[in-house]
Amino acid sequence: MQGWVILALLLSLGVLRSQAQNGLGELPVPHGLTLQPDLPAQTLTMTWQSDSSLFDIEIFHTELMNVVLNETVAVKTDPVTGQRVWIWHSSLPLECTSHSVRIRARNQQSVSQWSPPQTIPGSDIPEKSESSMYPQDKVVPVGSNMTFCCIVKEKVDFQDIRYMGQQMSATRLSRRTYAITVTNQPASGNTGTNVVCCSPEFTLTGAVVFVGYPPGDEGLVCETRDLASAKCSWWKGRDTHLKRKINRTNYTLNGRDCLVTNDGNTSWCSSKVWEDNWTLVARNTLGTVRLTDSAQLANRVHLLAPANVTAVEVKAWNATLQWSWPVAAYKKLEMVCQLELIGHELSSTRNYSGTGLSSVMLEGLWPDADFTVTVRCGSKHGFWKWGDESAPFRIHTKMDRPDALDVWVWMDSSNTGLVLWKPLSVRKSHGALVGYKVSQSSAEEDGWTTVSLPPERFNYPIILNNSSDITVAVAAQNPAGLSQPSTVTTPAYRADSQLSMSQLLGTNGTFDLSWQPNANTSRGYVVEWVPTGCSGLCPVNWEKVPEKDSSFTVKPDSLEKGVRYTVSVYVLSTGAATLLQRWQGYSQEMIPAQSVDLSANQTGSDVLLSWKATTMKQQRGFIRGYTIYLANAARLDLVANISDPEVRSYRVKGLSLSSYKFVVKAYTSAGEDMGTTVAIKMEMDTADMLFVGILVPLAAMFCCLILISICCYKKREWVKKAFYPEIPGPKVPGDWSSPQGPLDVKPPPHSLVHIVESPEWDFSKKGLVPVPEEEEEYENDNIEVDTDSDEPALLRYYNQVVGDGSHSNHVSDSSGSSTASVGSTQTEITYAGIQSPTSSQGASGGGGYRPQMQSAADPAEPQDEFEADFQDDGLNTGYKPQCSWQLDSPEAENFSGSLGSPTSVTSSQFLIPESSEEKPQSSSTWFHSFLSGKS
Amino acid sequence: MAGRGTNGRHGLRGHAGRTAALARLLHKECIQLLESYRNSESLPSSPVAGDYLVSTPPLVPQLSDAEKISILHAALKECLRLLEDVITREDAEFSDEDSEYRRKRKTVRDRLGHLLASTEQLLVDGQKFEAEVKEELDGQAASGSFGLKMWIVRVLQDLVHWTGQTSDTLRSLPAEMVKAPKTMSRRTRRGAGKIRK
Repeated sequence: MQGWVILALLLSLGVLRSQAQNGLGELPVPHGLTLQPDLPAQTLTMTWQSDSSLFDIEIFHTELMNVVLNETVAVKTDPVTGQRVWIWHSSLPLECTSHSVRIRARNQQSVSQWSPPQTIPGSDIPEKSESSMYPQDKVVPVGSNMTFCCIVKEKVDFQDIRYMGQQMSATRLSRRTYAITVTNQPASGNTGTNVVCCSPEFTLTGAVVFVGYPPGDEGLVCETRDLASAKCSWWKGRDTHLKRKINRTNYTLNGRDCLVTNDGNTSWCSSKVWEDNWTLVARNTLGTVRLTDSAQLANRVHLLAPANVTAVEVKAWNATLQWSWPVAAYKKLEMVCQLELIGHELSSTRNYSGTGLSSVMLEGLWPDADFTVTVRCGSKHGFWKWGDESAPFRIHTKMDRPDALDVWVWMDSSNTGLVLWKPLSVRKSHGALVGYKVSQSSAEEDGWTTVSLPPERFNYPIILNNSSDITVAVAAQNPAGLSQPSTVTTPAYRADSQLSMSQLLGTNGTFDLSWQPNANTSRGYVVEWVPTGCSGLCPVNWEKVPEKDSSFTVKPDSLEKGVRYTVSVYVLSTGAATLLQRWQGYSQEMIPAQSVDLSANQTGSDVLLSWKATTMKQQRGFIRGYTIYLANAARLDLVANISDPEVRSYRVKGLSLSSYKFVVKAYTSAGEDMGTTVAIKMEMDTADMLFVGILVPLAAMFCCLILISICCYKKREWVKKAFYPEIPGPKVPGDWSSPQGPLDVKPPPHSLVHIVESPEWDFSKKGLVPVPEEEEEYENDNIEVDTDSDEPALLRYYNQVVGDGSHSNHVSDSSGSSTASVGSTQTEITYAGIQSPTSSQGASGGGGYRPQMQSAADPAEPQDEFEADFQDDGLNTGYKPQCSWQLDSPEAENFSGSLGSPTSVTSSQFLIPESSEEKPQSSSTWFHSFLSGKS
Repeated sequence: MAGRGTNGRHGLRGHAGRTAALARLLHKECIQLLESYRNSESLPSSPVAGDYLVSTPPLVPQLSDAEKISILHAALKECLRLLEDVITREDAEFSDEDSEYRRKRKTVRDRLGHLLASTEQLLVDGQKFEAEVKEELDGQAASGSFGLKMWIVRVLQDLVHWTGQTSDTLRSLPAEMVKAPKTMSRRTRRGAGKIRK
């Protein structure tokens, strides 16, 4: 029974204990909480006493009760003090605002009550009324994040916080405190990065943060300059950006403060005593770097520069140089010195060695040349590096006799030549030249003839009076003396025409020559090249080739494109040089500079194109041929390609009658020239023209005549009727018994025939006899006579017809246009003149014949007397047959002045009786009959 | 006679004119210096809170021109002292690398010395006022590098202010300035109890 009671008590106690631990207030509250802030480090150290090991810690901004930390941490007891310590690092400077801390113990799910809060006051308490900003002058690495706070002065409004001049988003922490957080800060400038807090009116306060890098130094090297002390240098590496003096990197060398001297990106500091091991420590706020170096003094000798460098003796080909050392210890040092010689054409580096070296002889210099010498030395044993270089020292060597000249003779004819020599370079002249001495001698003359030439002359003409060779010696002269004379004997002249030259084709602007070696050569060969066809002072180039060589390349700098060169190789032996081989060629061919002279001639249906080649200078390459084009509008059609350059003509065959333009272009290997154009118009051949122009019309005419003849034959009856109608016989009143035979009628001066009106005209008589023309003209030379020579013939013919018994009442026309009338149809004109009195008006001005009818339209007719006769006739103003005609009337003689016109073919008038009923047909009538075929 | 002529009415007026031109030029350069500093430091253009560092008796219209010149001379003298202190402290604190601001700073310092020497020649009878500096740099330096920078701004603001005052005053000098010495002596003696010498 008692056992159960004890067990029950124990169980109840256990339950009570368990209930007490699980319930609130059962765990003891931590006590003795104290706060210890580290403002620069922004840490808060909390110490308290408690039996528990697990605690809830809560930190909050006192004023606004903003919790900034609520964390459960396990904190051990400090074995020395028996207190529990926990350090909190705040991202916000603790001065920004008041912070309060409270702690409670925790055991799994049970917690004690919170300890009374402890507070550290910030700078925003009312007692501190001024503006301020935190943190101040903090040094942080690049890329870090920071929180800045601004505590605004009492009764002043807050506007913004600016980081590097840029407004930032601010958070309010308390009544007067505002904060910004900057992330990934860049490196600062020389005076740090400014964070400024502003009110609307003023700049209130601010802070500077220095953002940079830890030291980046590397490469420590120590050396000695005086064989005793040490100078250690290193590379500073990356800029720390910490320029504020208290933030700059601090250096110690082997534990001693190092007075750093900066030389660019290299820094160095010195130690009075050499030590074999060196340690440099570089330290700044953000970090520390340790550099080491180990070496013996002998291996780290860096000599100073030689001083007082002078030349104690200067000659033409050498000079002695001397200097001194600023450190006495150098005199016992085995050293090697390097002299750098810089001249106009000669630069070299020479090494000399010796103990305490301070004098050397420079050899291999050139006469009359400027040299600049610098000296630097180093330790021979354990060479470390070359020492400092001395100041440059200038040397001018003395003069010496010039070198021998390179002389050649160029023969431009069989008895004239030009002695040529190449200018001496500065290196070979050994001093400014004052002139040349040219001596010549021939086999026929004793001794030498010498002439002096100025230094700018490089040739001397020679004339061979006879065929003997001349030997010429040329020497250059400067103030130091004459050079060795160079002799040359004139070679035999060989004209190009005497040789069979081969073409030489250039390669990349050069001539690659090769020839068969000649056994006779004892002094090698001379390659000579000169523009072909050049005369006078030609640019003659030559080069001497050793006898072992049998090839040579002419460099392009002495060759001109598009110029033909004659290249000759001479064999040098004792005596005159002999020509071995000769070429002609272009280093680089170009298209011809000028086109050919072109002409074209027509030969039948062919065109013969012929041209003349341009001059050699204009060819600029070997002419390979010609191309012939036919120009059609804007294009050229190839007609022929003549690959033989000697052909200078071409016949284009089978061309039709048209105009053509031909273009002929010469071409070299570089291409065609611009071409010459010739135009030709194809015309018909002379024989053809004769054929077409003469024979064809003749044939046509012949055909017409045949047709007319046929037609006339078939219509011969009608023709006879139309042209030769039956003329009724005249009715001759009275006795007309004149004997048969020609009527000896003397026509009046104005007429060729005098016809006497007689009704008893006997048709069988020969009525009219033409007066010889000469006679008529003789008698009427004052009369304007028709010059038509047919008229007398017609008259004869006409009278013959009449005489033959052909009767016609035709009356000779008296119109003024006798020539035309006579030339056409005599009969027609005659009738027209009779039937149409007005037709005679056209001849009124000429004072020609007026038929027996007065023309009222021509009152100005000068034949007044003649007119008066008709006017007397009253009504008979019309046609008046020759009834009133009076043979040999004296009045008729008076008509001579007005009736002398040859158109007044009065001789063709017939004595037609007025009673004649037959009327002559009009021309239209007979023509119509002709066409209609009536007879 | 020639020497008297140059020190006479026209010579003095000419000197005052040159001094006014010098003050005007310096005022312009001080403005540029302040602007250059603000730009290099990315500082806002709003003025730094606080009064001018250098204080003088008020330049009331009742003062004679000579008295005004004397007061301004005293203020400029204090400005030069403050500027030299600033230069010394700034060079000690930060890198002494060359910059546009530093070249202008040296120019202003040298020209301020010339202006002081020039205005001193305008002073008459050895009567001199003194200016007072209310705050010193040591008190501001406790606030760190930013305090130094704000101090520099305030010194430059004072320079702008006092060179401007000097320029305005010298430019408004009337032609009878040359007569001022006699009258100024009387006024100086009368106002001696109010103004520190």
